[in-house]
Amino acid sequence: MRKLRFVSAAMAMMMVAGTLVGCSGGNESQKSGSGGKNLKVAIICSAAGQNDNGYNQTAIEGAKKAEKDFGIEYKVVEPTTGVPKALESLADDGYQIIFNLEYDFEALINGTGGADAIAKMYPDTTFICMNDNPNKDSEGKQIHDNVISVLFDVHESSFVAGALTTLVNENAKELFGDTEYKFTSPENGGRSVGFIGGTNSNGITVFSYGYIEGINYEAEKFGVNYDYYSKYDAGFADSATGSTVAGTYYNQGANVVFAVAGAVGDGVASKAKEEGKLAIQVDANKDAQQPGYILTSVMKNTDVPVYEIIKASIEGKLDSMDRVQTYSLASGATSITDLAEISKHVQDSGKEKWEEIKAEVKDVESKIADGTIKVTNAQNGEEFDQSKCPNVKIK
Amino acid sequence: MALLNSILYDTVYHSAPIILCVIGGIFAYKANVLNIALEGMMLNGAFVSVLVMYFTGNIFLALSSAILTTLIWGLIFSYFGVSGSGNVIVIGLGINFIVPAIAKFTLNMMGVSNISLQNISVSDFKIHIPIIDSIDIVGSILSGHTFITYLAFIGIIIMSVIMYQTKFGIYVRVVGENEEAAISLGLKTKLYKYLAILLGALCAGLAGINLSLERMCMYTNDMTAGRGFIAIAAIYCGGGKPLESSLYAILFGISRALAVNLSINAGPMAGIFDTIPYIIMVSVLATVSYMKFKNVRVRGYTF
Repeated sequence: MRKLRFVSAAMAMMMVAGTLVGCSGGNESQKSGSGGKNLKVAIICSAAGQNDNGYNQTAIEGAKKAEKDFGIEYKVVEPTTGVPKALESLADDGYQIIFNLEYDFEALINGTGGADAIAKMYPDTTFICMNDNPNKDSEGKQIHDNVISVLFDVHESSFVAGALTTLVNENAKELFGDTEYKFTSPENGGRSVGFIGGTNSNGITVFSYGYIEGINYEAEKFGVNYDYYSKYDAGFADSATGSTVAGTYYNQGANVVFAVAGAVGDGVASKAKEEGKLAIQVDANKDAQQPGYILTSVMKNTDVPVYEIIKASIEGKLDSMDRVQTYSLASGATSITDLAEISKHVQDSGKEKWEEIKAEVKDVESKIADGTIKVTNAQNGEEFDQSKCPNVKIK
Repeated sequence: MALLNSILYDTVYHSAPIILCVIGGIFAYKANVLNIALEGMMLNGAFVSVLVMYFTGNIFLALSSAILTTLIWGLIFSYFGVSGSGNVIVIGLGINFIVPAIAKFTLNMMGVSNISLQNISVSDFKIHIPIIDSIDIVGSILSGHTFITYLAFIGIIIMSVIMYQTKFGIYVRVVGENEEAAISLGLKTKLYKYLAILLGALCAGLAGINLSLERMCMYTNDMTAGRGFIAIAAIYCGGGKPLESSLYAILFGISRALAVNLSINAGPMAGIFDTIPYIIMVSVLATVSYMKFKNVRVRGYTF
């Protein structure tokens, strides 16, 4: 009985605390522009927060640029009481464009708890969903007119990363020498690559499939075969386990490991430094995190769509825009980094080769842009065809 | 052979922080104030050690401040739980929530997504024992680990001695088994509860340092990833006995090592090994409590 009272008292306290938090409405910061078109834009950050050095921060930079160019007003919100609540209160406050960077669309599109869909309740507000197209019913028909979905063609940039991986791996000794780095030579099992994903979903496999095809593309040119080790259940928080998984791949001979798994990727990069090998990071330019040991990062430059959509709105073209915006490699919204950080670690004797490799990467990029190379896009539900990648053996 | 070596090495690697939490947590368990805050305390050790190392570059300062702050959490836990007779589950949960929140807030203020130490390297912490290092199998178990990892395994013996051979250990167990009897004997029961919790905090702090500073020179958010709760499960399964509970901790280490290493051959399927310890623990706990209550009758009725 005494225990029960404790529990009920605790629950009561939690409820009170919950309502108090609900009133405060979240951690908000506001910047106002100088007059201009009087456009009010809001950005709802994902769980990583506005200082994540990547995904969220880049989006905010896009808004800052728009503030400078068009004099809009923008607000950044970290939703402490949930995305639906933030969406509603922002729309209530008269924000015309609301970017939702969090992966939470149910209340917006379909409505939860018997309520109307938020998009329907605020027809004058334009909502932007990132990374997915939730705005369709079971038959694939568009539901709301005031929702724009933004997709990034990360499979294309992963392909470029894959091509770069093979090119660097084949020439590792020449490029980086063997004083600082401890690459396994291609003859001793060094022709293998690792991939670590946070969870087994299309959002993760899209990177992996593009990456495999990229490796295969260059491996075919060299006429060599690669082994591909992968793990898709590393989670997003346990960096210590991520680091041991990467360690296993490195010990097995892999010289490059690509991680798409949040903080787990940071653990992988730290392992790369320990082993004297290379890691590939994701989402933002994280090359300087472990200088010299991160080959490149596959980036989503959220500032591009944020800026483009605000610009369209200023020019009055927002309503005529496609409701699904796909940002390809060519748009600059997704790409690998400019390789500036890793270039510093290329030894003098390898400089010439390095320029060749960079030129080849540029060539691959342009071939993707003009459609010569077609990359599997798992995000669209496209199936990966192993038989098209004869030079990569998936373990 | 290489595979076996790395499985064994990883087993030691993944067992160590859980073992530390277990051998520290058993005292609180025996004193009947279950320390559910092990997770938060471990994260505190992980965070403070890397943070202080990042700003001062002084390893001794980093270690001592990490241990000291973790002990302060232990004191807070004991003050509310023992002196204030609060519900230890609620207090423990509170600590488990507030520590990661403080860490995230600090990272936010610093404007970074993780703290990574550039001027020291992971290999600086590894102790390679000559001769043994080159022996197959034995070498990967005994050599090449970090100081606190060795401490964890030596700690199993130390804690067994403290628990069963010293006055302190006996008193802690008496306090847990029958507090009123202990009071009637004139024992300062609260003091023993405080000490039991602080011993757990010390070990959890070390586990955190082991996880972040020693092995990765890096702190990432929520990096303890439930290891504190795994330790609590191991404590329950082992009935609070140092050796038995540690064996359950090692079981987790083995499964994690298998899941990691076999993914080379079995691909993503190897993740299934991660589930094995949970299945075993649920079965053990269910069986133990079934056996315990099998023939118990209350007012003529069985359970």
